[in-house]
Amino acid sequence: MPKFVEAEVVVIGGGPAGMAAALSAWEYGMRKIFLLERNAHLGGILNQCIHPGFGLHIFGEELTGPEYAERYMEALGRTGVEVLTDTTVLEVHKDRAVVAVNRGGIWIFHPQAVVFAMGCRERTRGMIRLPGTRPAGIFTAGCAQYLVNVEGYLPGKRVVILGSGDIGLIMARRLTLEGVKVEAVVEIRPTLSGLLRNYVQCLQDFHIPLLLSHTVFEVLGQERVEGVLVGEVDAKGKPKGRLRHIPCDTLLLSVGLIPEVELLKRAGIPLCSSSGGPFVDEDFACDVPGFFACGNVVAVFDLVDYVTRSAERVGKRISEGLRDEKPPLILVPGKGVAAIVPQRIRERREGFLYVRPKESLRKAKLSLVQQGRELYHVSVPLCRPGEMIHLEISQIPWPKERKEVEVVLEGEKHVDLFSGALYCMSSGMSD
Amino acid sequence: MKTYDVAIAGGGVVGCAVAWYLAHFSLDVLLLEKREDVCCGVSKANTGILHSRSYVTPGTLKGELHLRSLSWFSQAFQELGLKPLRCGALTLAFSKEEAQHLKVLQEQGKIEGASILSPKEVLALEPRLNPKVYAGYFDPETMVISPFAVTIALAECAALNGVTMHFEKEVVFVEASWDHLLIHCASGERYAAKFFVNCAGIGAPQLAQNIGDVIPPLCFFRGQYFVLDRECQGFVSHVLYPVPTEESKGILVSPTPEGNILLGPNFEPVSYENTATTIQGLEEVEKGARKLVPEIPLDKVIATFSGVRPALPKRDFYVAFSLRLPSVLHLAGIESPGLTACFGIAEYVGELLGKRGLPLREKKNFQSRVPPLVFRECSLEERERLIAEDPDWGKIVCRCEEVTLAEVKRALRSSPPARTLDGLKRRTRVFAGRCQGGFCGMHLPGILERECGLSSSDIRKSGPGSFYVLRKGEVAPDAKVC
Repeated sequence: MPKFVEAEVVVIGGGPAGMAAALSAWEYGMRKIFLLERNAHLGGILNQCIHPGFGLHIFGEELTGPEYAERYMEALGRTGVEVLTDTTVLEVHKDRAVVAVNRGGIWIFHPQAVVFAMGCRERTRGMIRLPGTRPAGIFTAGCAQYLVNVEGYLPGKRVVILGSGDIGLIMARRLTLEGVKVEAVVEIRPTLSGLLRNYVQCLQDFHIPLLLSHTVFEVLGQERVEGVLVGEVDAKGKPKGRLRHIPCDTLLLSVGLIPEVELLKRAGIPLCSSSGGPFVDEDFACDVPGFFACGNVVAVFDLVDYVTRSAERVGKRISEGLRDEKPPLILVPGKGVAAIVPQRIRERREGFLYVRPKESLRKAKLSLVQQGRELYHVSVPLCRPGEMIHLEISQIPWPKERKEVEVVLEGEKHVDLFSGALYCMSSGMSD
Repeated sequence: MKTYDVAIAGGGVVGCAVAWYLAHFSLDVLLLEKREDVCCGVSKANTGILHSRSYVTPGTLKGELHLRSLSWFSQAFQELGLKPLRCGALTLAFSKEEAQHLKVLQEQGKIEGASILSPKEVLALEPRLNPKVYAGYFDPETMVISPFAVTIALAECAALNGVTMHFEKEVVFVEASWDHLLIHCASGERYAAKFFVNCAGIGAPQLAQNIGDVIPPLCFFRGQYFVLDRECQGFVSHVLYPVPTEESKGILVSPTPEGNILLGPNFEPVSYENTATTIQGLEEVEKGARKLVPEIPLDKVIATFSGVRPALPKRDFYVAFSLRLPSVLHLAGIESPGLTACFGIAEYVGELLGKRGLPLREKKNFQSRVPPLVFRECSLEERERLIAEDPDWGKIVCRCEEVTLAEVKRALRSSPPARTLDGLKRRTRVFAGRCQGGFCGMHLPGILERECGLSSSDIRKSGPGSFYVLRKGEVAPDAKVC
């Protein structure tokens, strides 16, 4: 028979969000807390992020991913949080039953609160309908990152990276340091997807070409990738001009991340179409009482610091138990805004509002509008889709009225300066 | 050298079906496959639909073998441990002219329970259909199955009953030598057999030519497909066909036994076995699928692929003895409905060989295949029991399809074993879920090295040169670039 376990809190996922959520619950007095992690170690994606740049906001210093994770692992070690690794959650039910499996058998937890902290997964070749053959040598950037940094493999010797997301940029540098030739990073949009600092530190410093408004039109090779056909795209994404053949044995895809929400779907948690994750309030409570979600399962955050900060908010609320909730104020993304987190505001006193711009703008104005009336605005000198804007919730004069509040971003269109400047091709390329 | 009674070239669905059929008799059977596994060619990429009697092409060999095969279904599925999805089909007409064809299908099939439905009735069965539908033909006999599952089950059942299989053995020439045939492989090995069956698929005409026979050259018609996330399960619940044309059965929308939805195939001539997908081809499939189901969720695509139909100019199967060597039988042009017809083809091949003197004495101890347990399909109690027996059942290696380490290990030990990542995928569904290997693709190489005794250079996606990862300083084996 499966084993039944009573618990106060079950946290699903032992990455930065899950670790911080478990710690936060402990801090607020919860004592029967289970942290379930499907891999052999806590840390999640941090374990494969061996580059620096983590923790600037939280610790005021630049840490590597494993160093950042270690701080939380150590803190967890000082608590009574029960950590189960190599444990995969199979389903979460509406009554908060969590069914998990590990080498010890099947476990059914019955907690008062479930915290979803499964993070996100990478968009795949199929999702972008990348045409061509289906040989070995096509990896998502994060998969390649794990293979290189944790397992000590190389994905190949000559690489093209499609998409300018952060993991792709980081991997361009990482593979170059391993002696792999990175031919180019190809981005279909006219702007960079990842952080500007990653462009400078990972591509510019290593003379790796970035081809904006370009994409891969065909994968070549029967058994292993033998090359890709790359060309420029027009505003509609159609090919423009001649295609070029770039010989390579590997294609990495860094074409976006999506919250890993399969368990939430089965549990019947309402999801937001713009963020891809569940609707949450400023304490990262879902629309269904007793369920919480934090970190990248809610929306893909730019920095791990934001992920941690989101998770740190759940403990207090969990400690207050199931209570009668006042109906919240509802926030919706308006013009110029791709996604917002949270989408509900209840207490209006603490926490942050994160706003992801749809496109690059300069001299922009971020405003909160209710029924055509502006409640609040801030000016944003420059914003890019790769970087979230965050506002302190306490700074905003929230209205008494519970009508929907729209978050709007307006400004002048901004074209990244390196759009043309970096259009240099390396010598390895042939027509 | 051992002399086999029958040697078969080709481990596709046809070669494996022939091996399985012959394994019912007291015979020494050998199967030689060019690739590293069964189901690596044409057999791996098709709709997996088991077409009903309505889709039998009258007056052709393929029609005859299709019909024969249908009568084998219950015995074959029981012996092979297969469970097709018995979903039935709707063929949809969008005009009065098209509706005429539905009557032809009904007449052709004479299937009990089949009927021509009004738009209202059709939409009651499939509410997401295009409301412009003029009429529909409901056919309860159509089923869907995984094409990998069929071929692998045939191979496993054949192996279980004594068929010898050798891989990476491409037959290039067969000659008569005294009272038997001498079979030459590209790699230099030779085998002796009394009968030889050429089931080499796309390679069949070339092999026939090497032997001195003439089969008309194959034409290739590519079909491209989309696979939708399992999350879309239930979006449609029948195979949805348009009215067929002379060329093909059209772009259809079909549920699969695994819970995905398959869209395709289009029909485009290609000059060789070109299984690349193209932007235009996929757009055509999208258009075709939207004609049937306008709201089909194409944002839930997890994979695209294409397959080729190896067709002869007459668009019929070719099954005939060699004119040079009377104990050599050639099969070619086995396109759709080759999967459906495979049992009928196998029986027909057996009969033909029997007429030429192959002794068909039925074995008393023929064993049915026990299908491997699938963690995802087990109840919690069964899972608990499995984990208690072997803790590897508690280690999930593919989170999308919930595949356990125990299932991976079983696939590596099975006969014939998975020898590549594609082989593992076709047996266990690792790499086949919504993340398409984003998760299992990072963990599996390490697991295969540490827990299954493979070395990194053994880990290939498919054939030689398809290395998956390299160790630092390692030179890519058989790679064309670098």
